[in-house]
Amino acid sequence: MASSYKDEDGHITVSGSGAAAGAGGGSLRSKKPENTAFKQQRLPAWQPILTAGTVLPAFFIIGLMFIPIGIGLYVTSNNIKEFEIDYTGVEMSSPCFTCAQNFSWNGTKPCTCSVPFHLDQPYESNVFMYYGLSNFYQNHRRYVKSRDDSQLNGNEESLRKPSKECEPYAKHGNKPIAPCGAIANSMFNDSLELIYNDPNGTKVQIPLTATGIAWWTDKHVKFRNPGAENTNLTVVFQGTTQPVNWRRPVFQLDSDPDNNGFINEDFIVWMRTAALPTFRKLYRIIQRRSNVHPTLPRGNYTLEVVYNYPVRSFEGRKRMILSTISWMGGKNPFLGIAYISVGSVCFLLGVVLLIIHHKYGNRNNAAEISH
Amino acid sequence: MTWRSPLALVRDALQGQRARERELRSLVSNLLYEGLEKTKQPNRFFLSNAIKTTKYSLLLFLPMNLYEQFHRFANLYFVGIAILNFIPVVNAFQPEVALIPICVILLLTALKDGWEDFRRYQSDRKVNNTPCFIYSRREKQYMERRWKDVRVGDFVRVVSNEIVPADLLLLYSSNPNGVCHIETANLDGETNLKQRTVVVCERPNNNLNHFKCFEKPDKDKVGASIESLLLRGCTVRNTNHAVGFVVYAHETKSMLNSNGSRYKRSKLERKLNVDVFFCLLLLFTMCLIGAFHYLWLESLPGVPSFLVPDSNGHLDVPSLESFYMFITMIILLQILIPISLYVSVELVKVGQIFFITNDIDLYDEETDNRVQCRALNITEDLGQIEYIFSDKTGTLTENKMVFRRCSVMGTEYPHKENEEVIFNQHQQLPRTRWSLESEGISPADTQQHGRRRKSKVAANAHSDVAFSSPLETEVIPDQKLLQQISRAESSGGRRDGNRNFDPHLDFFLALAICNTVVVSMENAHRQRTIAEAEELCYEAESPDEAALVYAARAYGFILLARTPDSVTVRLPSGEDLVFEVLDTLTFDSNRKRMSVLVRHPVTKDYVLYTKGADYSIMELLGTPYAQYHLDCYAKDGLRTLCITKKVVSESTYQSWLGERKRAQAAMECREELIMRTAVQLETNLTLLATGIEDRLQENVPDSIVALREAGIHVWVLTGDKPETAVNIGYACRLLEEEDLVINMSCKNKLVIDGNTLDIAMSPDLQQRFIELTKHCRSVLCCRVTPLQKSAVVKLVRDKLKVMTLAVDGANDVNMIQAADIGIGISGQEGMQAVMASDFAISRFKHLKKLILVHGHWCYTRLANMIIYFFYKNVQAYVNLLFWYQFFCGFTATTMFDYWQMIFFNLFFTSTPPIMFGIFDKDVSVEVLQGVPELYRTGQRKGEYNFLTFWISILDAFYQSLVCFFIPYLAYQDSDVDLFTFGMPLNTAALFTILLHLAIEIKSWTLVHWAIMLGSVALYFVVTLAYTAGCVTCNPPSNPYWILQSQMADPMFYLIVTLCTVVALLPYTFHVLKNSVAPSPLLQGRQLDRMDPSTRDQWIKEWRG
Repeated sequence: MASSYKDEDGHITVSGSGAAAGAGGGSLRSKKPENTAFKQQRLPAWQPILTAGTVLPAFFIIGLMFIPIGIGLYVTSNNIKEFEIDYTGVEMSSPCFTCAQNFSWNGTKPCTCSVPFHLDQPYESNVFMYYGLSNFYQNHRRYVKSRDDSQLNGNEESLRKPSKECEPYAKHGNKPIAPCGAIANSMFNDSLELIYNDPNGTKVQIPLTATGIAWWTDKHVKFRNPGAENTNLTVVFQGTTQPVNWRRPVFQLDSDPDNNGFINEDFIVWMRTAALPTFRKLYRIIQRRSNVHPTLPRGNYTLEVVYNYPVRSFEGRKRMILSTISWMGGKNPFLGIAYISVGSVCFLLGVVLLIIHHKYGNRNNAAEISH
Repeated sequence: MTWRSPLALVRDALQGQRARERELRSLVSNLLYEGLEKTKQPNRFFLSNAIKTTKYSLLLFLPMNLYEQFHRFANLYFVGIAILNFIPVVNAFQPEVALIPICVILLLTALKDGWEDFRRYQSDRKVNNTPCFIYSRREKQYMERRWKDVRVGDFVRVVSNEIVPADLLLLYSSNPNGVCHIETANLDGETNLKQRTVVVCERPNNNLNHFKCFEKPDKDKVGASIESLLLRGCTVRNTNHAVGFVVYAHETKSMLNSNGSRYKRSKLERKLNVDVFFCLLLLFTMCLIGAFHYLWLESLPGVPSFLVPDSNGHLDVPSLESFYMFITMIILLQILIPISLYVSVELVKVGQIFFITNDIDLYDEETDNRVQCRALNITEDLGQIEYIFSDKTGTLTENKMVFRRCSVMGTEYPHKENEEVIFNQHQQLPRTRWSLESEGISPADTQQHGRRRKSKVAANAHSDVAFSSPLETEVIPDQKLLQQISRAESSGGRRDGNRNFDPHLDFFLALAICNTVVVSMENAHRQRTIAEAEELCYEAESPDEAALVYAARAYGFILLARTPDSVTVRLPSGEDLVFEVLDTLTFDSNRKRMSVLVRHPVTKDYVLYTKGADYSIMELLGTPYAQYHLDCYAKDGLRTLCITKKVVSESTYQSWLGERKRAQAAMECREELIMRTAVQLETNLTLLATGIEDRLQENVPDSIVALREAGIHVWVLTGDKPETAVNIGYACRLLEEEDLVINMSCKNKLVIDGNTLDIAMSPDLQQRFIELTKHCRSVLCCRVTPLQKSAVVKLVRDKLKVMTLAVDGANDVNMIQAADIGIGISGQEGMQAVMASDFAISRFKHLKKLILVHGHWCYTRLANMIIYFFYKNVQAYVNLLFWYQFFCGFTATTMFDYWQMIFFNLFFTSTPPIMFGIFDKDVSVEVLQGVPELYRTGQRKGEYNFLTFWISILDAFYQSLVCFFIPYLAYQDSDVDLFTFGMPLNTAALFTILLHLAIEIKSWTLVHWAIMLGSVALYFVVTLAYTAGCVTCNPPSNPYWILQSQMADPMFYLIVTLCTVVALLPYTFHVLKNSVAPSPLLQGRQLDRMDPSTRDQWIKEWRG
């Protein structure tokens, strides 16, 4: 962009002393306006003009910056290993077909199914295990607001008297629901286990870490159990009832007291409502244990599912995703491609502008001001 | 405090009402009742003199102001939308938050109104506390009081140069003739003195306890008419002191006449309203997407757990649900109608007016006047003018008449010397005329220039404006004529009786006598001392009268004094002659002449001197022998006047006097009868002729040429003769030598006279007349009446649908009001035009800068700002939210926090466009004035038109697509949550919006940088603070730690950068156009970048 700092015909700020002239007669003040750069609209100004010549460098710079960034992004994305398996059980052949058919929220006997899969390549670093849902509108307007943040923040009063935003999941019978609202009520409750089928025939259960999957601020600031001092959650939650669709109360979500109640990380993750109807949520982390063995070696695995969560009512799909992640998050080639193409377009436009600049740039202002 | 029964209060109120409404009022002096409590005062029913122009009172401000604001449709609309939020079915997140914007808007407007009202209150208080003198019976003297203490029935003393506090019936004047001079400049802007005569009645004292005013003179009682009323606001001049009886206090004539500034709606604003309506349509179309919600619901096979039933556990049927969704969409997308647009437009106009009134180039030193913006909301119309209608006298010309040439007894005296001086003055010192004249006061100087006499009054006038209108008075006597006079003088000196038979002497006597000029002294307090002739000051009702008196003075015939009964003239010989004035037949527009009947002190003859427009005199003459000279004068652009003389015999006079008295005594048709008697006497006159020049104002030709180059048609509508008008036309370069002049009495120029105009304006010819004028570069209409002027303006405005501007320096209120913009020139004649105008300037040349520079700026600034505003609102949220609906089941979910949405429009992105509208400067003053063609860009449709509006809307759609779908694709199938997804969208939108504006901004000053960077900083600081500080304060929406976590994520920056770049990529087209086919404005900007000397050179070459 062309830059020329200049002052309108050399006037630098003139003080308004001239206004006093002619105001000899005491009370009669001259109405003469002050001759200041501001009032006379003569402030020094930078007046860029967008022409091919002036914006050329910008295009080349953008082009030269975007293309490497794009390549970097693309390579990074490609290096991310990701494996995805659908275990909804829509097709007859699917192992979970029976479970999917015989569903009821309140079924007493959990339905289990095993889904075998094969990893073509070993996963070296920490592996993140996600569950994915599709066609699930966690961003439905009424759904999004059906929660009580102050209840989740450990407010005793809200625990007993949930906000009316939670309606109709605020009370069950006469007891307040904890946690209240539709989001909590519809919490994902399948449990997934990974079994590695060692080529030597043994089945090794992969250890899954259930903590560290939620935002630190969520776990420590936004979500708190009520009764700060009291570690006995059973007592704290006395007088409340579990959400209608839940099989156990909130204080029995986990045996670890630091991961129980409202600060259960699975719960926290679910409460962070997804932006789009097809989403994944972090379920477990598979920590890398040794430097010698890969976290997940190449080979056959079985996904053991306790099938609780119904998706047929919205034609949804359930997936399990295994992914290594990088600084840019999960695998997504889009950004890399976009950067490369925008960079190329800018570079090309820069070339076009260069040609135009050579053709028209020398033609100065002699062009007539059209009538 | 005494208690009064409510009954008595009611009775009093009723009495007061009746007293005020009665046709005739009985006024009683307050003196007898002085010191009594209020209920005993006889005049208690009449309002006190304290004025109150404030609209609101402290207590009622809120309800009254709100009531006024809700007269605006837009405000009602926004309140309605805000109320919609409170309907439960729309599931508003926080209905209260929706009220914030409208409340802020209402509050801002209320603050503005309150401030204006407070200013009024302050000025009222200042006026009310002005001191004045009221007679007190107890103290037996005039006591100093305040204006607000003046009550009906008081006796008030006013001293010289004091402003009259209320309408006073003049009872006493220190002037021995019982005359009090007043200046009404504050009321009508006329600076000449007017006489008011004392009511002949008792001296004001306690005897006078009952006084009646009669409208019509009665035989026995003294009539009191306007002639003895001192109006509030007038200034007392030339009278040491005067005493008056307060007739009207609050209900003074001037108060009843004053009304607030008019409200006009500009063309741009009308267009704006249409586009707001388009937006409304767009909004409803977009809201129809709620219908998709129905399809979406239908497509679900069951009842999924994310569908939340109502509190009773029931789900509504899909059709009803989708209807609710429609309403929810309205409240979601309502920001499409920019709520802050109207307020921003007003703020921008306030800023623009500030800069216009502060322009030092539009300030006139002479009269100490800035340009006045009387209409506050049509600044941008100045940038779209296509037709200018101008009056001649006082507009193009100074209306400072100068005696130029005369013809006496068939001999022409051209006054060549005069012209040379004027010519030199104009050549060398066009701007320092005043100093040149004051130089000439020194006696030596006067002699050097050969008997050049002049009045220093004019030179001093501007320092003491109150005493005299600054008239151009310089006349250098013609040598030949001087000789003639001295010859007549010397011969006449010997033979006394025959002296006045010399027509030359008579001519100058007539000039000195036949007028209504009032002689005043420079210093009112030295009034009784015999003043030197040089110190005399003439107060004339019309400038040509003054010019003639000054001309007579240049030849040594000095008007010394004028009383109602006599005129004193000093002859060149030094002798003072006192003429007895028998009657004055005043000027009226039917006769177009005035006469004075005097008795010659030496010959005792009854002499009638008549003066008038040439055609009105010619018909009364037997032989039109000076016609040739008159035609010559007219061709030179001079205004011609004829002076005649008639000696009336004793018997004729006596019989006429009888008739005259009868006419004056008549109760009905008095005016007409008086006029008829005047006509009777004005017959068989002998002619003496003169020519007067009305000098063109400085830089008029230059301004007219510039305006014409700017593509503006300039029409001059004048009452002058065609010859004079054509001449002035050439003089001010309205007409060029090579132009073809079509005389309708045109390829290029049209000159048309009043009678022809009447025919041309008839309905069947109108269309063809307009067609003809369209092909003319300029049109001159001569001999047109004020009514015709306004008819012409209206015809052009309505038939051609163009922006018209009317300039007038006098009283053509009709024309000024008929045009889209009326401009008044505060000149010599009355201020009526100024009062009715939208803008008031002091010189015609100021029009050039006002229109070419300020008009252009105001228009482009406002037009661009409005387009930007629409773009911003469509792009920023509405479309982003709109696209999101496709991914949330059409349930009107937002991916931004509600507060952020409010803040975004109200704070983060609202100041930059206002700044843009006030400060942006596309082309500099020098280039705009040097290349007037640039003005054409604003004419007709200008920059804000159908195309630019829709292009900006399309651009907004494109940008919103980019800003939505790039983050969407980047975050697809990830674990991103609602607000985390919204944050980069929001930030990208902010940057796109601001950078879009940054590209539009043509010149970056410190203010621009501060506001633009400040907006970005404000966004981040406020959002960071908000997302960090609010854990559960804002249920059910919870943006806690969103921006913080995003700012720690490189993806955020990558996405925002990519969005911004891609969104702004179409500007390349702009760049290409600028390079390949630059617009005139862009070329103007390129001119700006040259250094001033090259630029001037270039402009000159290009012009050449």
